[in-house]
Amino acid sequence: MSFAQVLLENVVKVAEQHGAKRVKSIQIAVGNMLMLNPEQLRFCFDVISRGTIAEDANLEIEVVKAKIRCMICGKDFDEFVGVCDECGGIVTVEGGKDMILKKVEMEV
Amino acid sequence: MHKIEVDAEVDLLEENRRLAEENRRILRERGVTTINVMGAIGSGKTLLIEKTVKSLKDFKVGAILGDVIAKDDYKRVARHGVRAIPLNTGKECHLDAHLVHHALEDFDLNGLDVLFIENVGNLICPVDFDLGEDYRVVMVSVTEGDDVVSKHPEIFRLADVIIINKVALADAVEADVEKMFNDAKRLNPKAKIIKMDLKKDVGFDEWMEWLRCALQSREGLLR
Repeated sequence: MSFAQVLLENVVKVAEQHGAKRVKSIQIAVGNMLMLNPEQLRFCFDVISRGTIAEDANLEIEVVKAKIRCMICGKDFDEFVGVCDECGGIVTVEGGKDMILKKVEMEV
Repeated sequence: MHKIEVDAEVDLLEENRRLAEENRRILRERGVTTINVMGAIGSGKTLLIEKTVKSLKDFKVGAILGDVIAKDDYKRVARHGVRAIPLNTGKECHLDAHLVHHALEDFDLNGLDVLFIENVGNLICPVDFDLGEDYRVVMVSVTEGDDVVSKHPEIFRLADVIIINKVALADAVEADVEKMFNDAKRLNPKAKIIKMDLKKDVGFDEWMEWLRCALQSREGLLR
């Protein structure tokens, strides 16, 4: 819910800056390590945006994957593991923690 | 009326990060070491803080006790005579840097050595909200099931200390403490992992040893 709230606040701010009458569509990029469920985010956003300029806006969510890599042998992983299964090295995570408002499409 | 498309490129989590850095700056300038105590509901976070403030007689200790609506945790810690304030989140399931920022405005930081911030009991939401702490402690107990660590990888990955509490009850609830320990080790090889039972005084010395070491290294840094 806090993520939906901060999204709405920023969308409304951008829309007002451009003198929009209605927000039609919103594009965001969400890091997978935030472990947000896009459907839940969409639902929360739908609920809190009612009665605002962003009501009924289409929310497009792109999930951005973190780089999960072994520090020793450089093996890449899809999901987080602490220790590399090949060489026993420590696996580090880069990125995947951002939530970026990319584009706002609106009627002015 | 016509349509326009704006490239906003707004970092939506920037505000929390900015305020967390601001909190960190304020606390470090005052020489305060700050510890964010996170963990499951009923895992023993408040008891850990209570026992710790009683043992740390040679340091000036403060505590901010986060909770949804209640002030029970605050009362438990404040009765030990340390500076403490409650911090209610309302419906929110985690503390954030903004709430802590306002709490710090009301908190007397003068002469304080260490500040504990007890987060809301939750292993998911608090992870992504840096409060401006120096260290993160994550506490779970065997009664939550021995798969509780592997089911919440992110909070353990980012912890400095992982505490597995109530180990004396492990047999009664058929929990495998070694599995929990190994799961924590696998997710976070760098963390200090402590098997504890606060009511039986198991592992508490190990925790105090870590804490004193953390506080002394800070003093060393400031000198």
